[in-house]
Amino acid sequence: MLFATRVALATGLLVLLAAAHPARAQERAVTGTVTDAETGAPLAGVNVVAGTPPVGTSTDADGGYRLDVPAGADSLVFSFIGYERLAVAVDGRAVVDVALAPASRVFDDVVVTALGIEREERELGYSVQQIDAADLQEADTGNLVSALSGRVAGAQVIDTGGAPGQGARIILRGITSLDPNADNQPLFVVDGVPIDNSTDSGAEGFNSRGFSNRAVDLNPNDVASVNVLKGAAATTLYGVRAANGAVIVTTKRGRAGTTRVEVTSEVGAEGVNRTPEVQQVYTQGFGGAYDPTSFWCCWGAPIDEARQVTPDLQFYNNWEQAYQTGYTVENNVSVSGGTDAASFYASVGRLDNGGVLPFSDWARTSARLSGAVQPSAAFRFGGTLNYVNSGGDRVFADRFNERLVYWTPNQDVAQYIKPNGTMFGYYGSDDNVGTNALYDARFATYNDDVDRLIGSVNAGYTFAEGVDVTYRLGVDTYSDSRFETLQGPQGIAGENALDSEGEVGETRISSRDLTSTLNVSLSRRFGDKLQADLLLGNDVFGRSYDRVNVSGSDLTIPNFYTLSNARDLTTSQFVRDQRLVGLYGDLKLAYDETLYLSLTGRNDWTSTLPVESRSFFYPSLSLAYVFTETLGSSPVLEFGKVRASFSQVGKDAPPYATNVTFVSPGAFPLDGQTGFTQSGVLGSPDLKPERTTSFEAGVDLRFLGGRVGLDATYYNATSRDQIIPVPISNATGFSRFITNAGSIRNTGVELVLNAAVVETSDVGWDVTANFARNRNEVVEIREGIETIEVGRQSGYAGSTAYLRLLPDAPYGAIYGTSYARYYAPGEDADPLELDPDRPLLIGADGFPVVDRTLRILGNMTPDWIGGLLNRVRYKNVELSALIDVSFGAEKYSQFNNFFAAFGIPEYTLDREDTMVFEGTTADGQPNAQPVYLGQGAGPDGRDYGAGYYRNTYRASTENSVFDASYVKLRNVSLAYGLPASLVGRAGIDRARIRLAVNNVVLWSPYPYWDPEVTSAGSGSNATGFSGLAHPGVASYTLTLELGI
Amino acid sequence: MTARLRPALSVLLAGAFFVAAPGCDGFLDINENPNEPTQVPVGALLASTTFATGETTFGLGNLTANYVQYLASPNRASASDVYERISLDETWGNLYDVMADLKRLEAQAAAEGATDYAGVARILLAYHLASTVDAWGSAPYSQAFDPVETLNPAYDDGEALYNEVFRLLADGIAALEAGGSTLSPGGDDFVYGGDTDLWVKTAYALRARYLNHLTKTDAYDPQAVLAAVDRAYTSEAESATVAYFDDEINPWADVAIDNANLFLGGWLSEQFVQAVDGTTYGVVDPRIEAYTDSLADGSYVGTVNGAGRGGAKEQGERVVLTTNTYYARRTAPLELVTYSEVKLVEAEAALRAGQRDRAYAAYTEAIRAHMDKLGVGADAAAAYLAAPQVSVGAAALTLDDVFREKYKVLFLNPEAWVDARRHDYDYEGFVLPANAELPEFIRRIDYPDTEYSRNASNIPEASLTDRIWWDQ
Repeated sequence: MLFATRVALATGLLVLLAAAHPARAQERAVTGTVTDAETGAPLAGVNVVAGTPPVGTSTDADGGYRLDVPAGADSLVFSFIGYERLAVAVDGRAVVDVALAPASRVFDDVVVTALGIEREERELGYSVQQIDAADLQEADTGNLVSALSGRVAGAQVIDTGGAPGQGARIILRGITSLDPNADNQPLFVVDGVPIDNSTDSGAEGFNSRGFSNRAVDLNPNDVASVNVLKGAAATTLYGVRAANGAVIVTTKRGRAGTTRVEVTSEVGAEGVNRTPEVQQVYTQGFGGAYDPTSFWCCWGAPIDEARQVTPDLQFYNNWEQAYQTGYTVENNVSVSGGTDAASFYASVGRLDNGGVLPFSDWARTSARLSGAVQPSAAFRFGGTLNYVNSGGDRVFADRFNERLVYWTPNQDVAQYIKPNGTMFGYYGSDDNVGTNALYDARFATYNDDVDRLIGSVNAGYTFAEGVDVTYRLGVDTYSDSRFETLQGPQGIAGENALDSEGEVGETRISSRDLTSTLNVSLSRRFGDKLQADLLLGNDVFGRSYDRVNVSGSDLTIPNFYTLSNARDLTTSQFVRDQRLVGLYGDLKLAYDETLYLSLTGRNDWTSTLPVESRSFFYPSLSLAYVFTETLGSSPVLEFGKVRASFSQVGKDAPPYATNVTFVSPGAFPLDGQTGFTQSGVLGSPDLKPERTTSFEAGVDLRFLGGRVGLDATYYNATSRDQIIPVPISNATGFSRFITNAGSIRNTGVELVLNAAVVETSDVGWDVTANFARNRNEVVEIREGIETIEVGRQSGYAGSTAYLRLLPDAPYGAIYGTSYARYYAPGEDADPLELDPDRPLLIGADGFPVVDRTLRILGNMTPDWIGGLLNRVRYKNVELSALIDVSFGAEKYSQFNNFFAAFGIPEYTLDREDTMVFEGTTADGQPNAQPVYLGQGAGPDGRDYGAGYYRNTYRASTENSVFDASYVKLRNVSLAYGLPASLVGRAGIDRARIRLAVNNVVLWSPYPYWDPEVTSAGSGSNATGFSGLAHPGVASYTLTLELGI
Repeated sequence: MTARLRPALSVLLAGAFFVAAPGCDGFLDINENPNEPTQVPVGALLASTTFATGETTFGLGNLTANYVQYLASPNRASASDVYERISLDETWGNLYDVMADLKRLEAQAAAEGATDYAGVARILLAYHLASTVDAWGSAPYSQAFDPVETLNPAYDDGEALYNEVFRLLADGIAALEAGGSTLSPGGDDFVYGGDTDLWVKTAYALRARYLNHLTKTDAYDPQAVLAAVDRAYTSEAESATVAYFDDEINPWADVAIDNANLFLGGWLSEQFVQAVDGTTYGVVDPRIEAYTDSLADGSYVGTVNGAGRGGAKEQGERVVLTTNTYYARRTAPLELVTYSEVKLVEAEAALRAGQRDRAYAAYTEAIRAHMDKLGVGADAAAAYLAAPQVSVGAAALTLDDVFREKYKVLFLNPEAWVDARRHDYDYEGFVLPANAELPEFIRRIDYPDTEYSRNASNIPEASLTDRIWWDQ
């Protein structure tokens, strides 16, 4: 219903806008021929446009055209792919013939670098990758971070799940911090203003409600380009905050000339992209006996036997029953334009997303206004203002899925609520016990409501040629209001209550980032070959964060959620402030467009380090040499550049890491007393800044007239003196110790290959491939600290999986229990690594022996990642397909552990078999003892208790660690541009229909669920655990784009 | 160049207004944590530690209640029933957190001349240290609580730690008896409300308890136990308990409330029910009405450990803890060490010392006092005390009798598991749980996962059937 209304509204809006076109004025005809300026050959398919609103046509096979030029239009604009755009004054002529010059290729691509400085790519001594608006349109995701998936070499993008608004995570060139809680993600800068991209997962336990990474507040439709600065050399000027790289977002701006209106409307549907395969033979019960009152979902009798008790018994695939089809509706309108002296861009957008998980949704409304004014040749100023409201109902996906694990497949989980409003259970004497996932999702709610303002004012003055000053003040402030409810008993006789008391909670977060940036740039040319540019600058950053939480439990009036209805209230407050001051300089020398040298230095003063170590300096040096300028270019190698850089970057500590403090336990104040206990976190008064030293070298080659390009980069970055809250033995009186505790190194290569395979006026085929391989190594950890735990996830029967760091191993080794392997007397097992190829050790009971020593079972970091983008154009039709690959990462599947415990997977169908485990007994002999895999008394009369899967299989973490490699058809987009002749009559300049599908094809050996999803949240580094996380989704969208 | 730079420099100087001058003012001096203080008064530490003692005691009791079969899980083959390895991370963490706070309290109180606070801190530290040893055996202590010195504290032998426990108790008594404390505890003491005389008696009660743990060792000295008993409690009202309130209820009451709302837990074991309903010993113990509520038909049906509830309904077919029952009332005090326990310690030590009359008198007084506390009527109490199975007389009193009664007195208290092991689980009718994962009774808890992941190299090898030092 809601869905239909929204579609109708969207359609209505479009019709309204389409009808508003102005009446047609008097016209006169112009004809002519378009040729290639170099060959003189006629060019077919060239766009010819005139007037406001523009009217247009394209040239025929002989290069000829005829256009009825509106009165008042005094010029024609000719454009064609692969050629320079050309504007020609008509001057009253009836015939206008032109020759188009082939476009000089991408050699002078302009990219945006640190501090928003636009530079030609050829000058750079480091690699930068740019994503433009067309890529973002293709990617068709509401989250700017997700849109980068597979498109940037060396960027690992993880969609943590398919919930509406759920966070996405991006890591550039590997994890750089040993701190399990560190933000390893790059700095996001929008039009020069650094913005907050944190993920606030809320209180402990709410991690898997799929909270948004805050960059989700940016409307991708407003973005003109995204430049990804990966290495330290590229980001030194940004200082400590960009130690993990930077993502520079440039929004759309108005251009001098006609006022343009762009309208985009989208509708979409989405569904779970991979659903677990489950056994549908064994019924509710335990020990092979069917029992509809049993807690156990699937250890009962086979269905045929159970039907003798309950004749109409059947199976439901509750993993399908529980999820639904989600939807997306999005509308955006932007208006832009300007004159030579002033320009503006304004937009309004609304996105609504209803989730595949029932009762989850998310919406974003954004409005943006930006303008720039140049009152004189010397002075300019401008500003931007972006207001965003976002948020939605977040469902605790892990708990939802856990409920699904327990729920019997012999009962439809979608039947969740009784006529009297109470919850269906699945077991107990009258199915009145057990929590229903859907009921829980509906009545244990948590929603967030974010109001955010990102804005800036900037001014610049050119004192003389080559002497320029700019100043910018940016603010990013938001309030995040979160409201939580949990239904208690409703006072209805015989009800199966969701909670024994009921809860209501309110959290108010306010955050404010202020950034002040002053830059002075001086440039001068010495002779005709040497160009020098000097930039001196200062920036001041301040961040304040304040969170107040009140939670109430034990509700008096059922279903009435306000704090005054709670008998027991607890409150908490958390305040955080940090400041940073930086002074920096950047000297660039360019010699004869051949050799480029850049030297930078920055000193930071931070509030978070002790006074004696709060000031620190770091330099960088980069060099680019366009060798084809000296050695000459050839038709094969048209352009070639080598580049190298060396850089350092410092990093400060999180706030308040230098003291030992006391905290008040939750029970206090109590009986008129306050109580304090020593904080579990031991701070250090002698912290010093972290330092990352990196080296980068690369080549940029363009072949065959620039149709084929190869960009290759090697890098090596070592971070020392890392500030880490290391988990330490509780026996120290603390559980974590913040200290400069180690060093981590990332080494890698990145390749980007692009080729224009076919390029004619009607047909185009471009291929872009990227590949990145990052090797990560923990170089050392402070003496006395054996390992650092990044995270852990529980498994039944002691099979908890751990992510730990230890010297000489890559980040994110997965540890756990395993099946013991046989070692002959005198042979010793490696104390850490599991050798899976050795024979299993079979115990005296005939089952594999579970080795409780924690061993390395895999690693969460992929061996390599890559993307392959194909774009094919035929006349007005464009088709693009992006394949995203992640290879060689392992992941702990909590699903498998839980499923095995409950007899859910198809492999547990062998539970009535008797078999001999292949392996070796302690005396070195091959095992020959047959054992029964089921529960209770076996055919041999022996009591097998809870059976193989519960007693043995699930106790080994090894059984639940899987290869999480994947190949995804991330995105396919088919766009059709409606002929100008057709839409022109409706007063529309440009109309395009786009059909996009995302994540529809997934190949992965990983079982049950999309291998990408994790319950850890987009702010967490513990991506090696699946949790019982929200499934991934596949989506289908239809978009109409209109330009007026 | 110089001429061109001049305007730029003037702008730079003008811009200095916007530029924060680092290092020379307080702009960056904002790193004092506004959320958490760096110093707190001794009272705030006493408040948190005395109250947390209820949490640590419950944390251990919540597991050991299944080991001694006071309680049984309604779910078949539940981990705590069947001796599955359990990682008690939270309780271990709480124990060490409280001990660290007590260490700090002791030092700060000593420095401030607040000897009463220092004395109480030592007694509570002794209690926590002994609780740790009794559950795990060897444990970090001598190198613990000093992260500057080491982040990987070694494990001390349990016997050495017991010596420390006795030293702490003696020092605690000395501090409390010294007088002249600059500050006196009051409402910040959630055990005694500041009554230092009762803290001294508690120190002796604990000394008696821990000396009596040594029955299997050569060091056992029943006379020393009796000497300590003489200076401990004189009535049930003097027992050490942690107070609970309407807005912070007894943790067993939480279990009972959850169970009433079908988050099942707190089901009484068939073994315990049969020990008090006359099945095992042939005499109905009137305390049964205080431990649990009878079923609708007036009967008491327990749950077999490890077997789960089978076909029984979730409510009304098995006896459970409810907020009507003595130990699980919402504001029931949580017992640390009690007069009736000390009386049975006295009975055991006197019996082992051959002082049969003293033993029998203490045995009878323990039953009487405990029944009185639980609200058993005088007639019912007298009837039980007169039953031939109970009124065996001084000459016929056995250790089995003492352990039988102590088992009832220590309901839900982790001390019961110490007794079970000292007594080799040799209670009448006590058998392994169904679906047991061990071939014999469990003897210790494995160290928690947190220690395996953070201090692995120091952890002694141990299996769940290995016996700790006083259980050899």
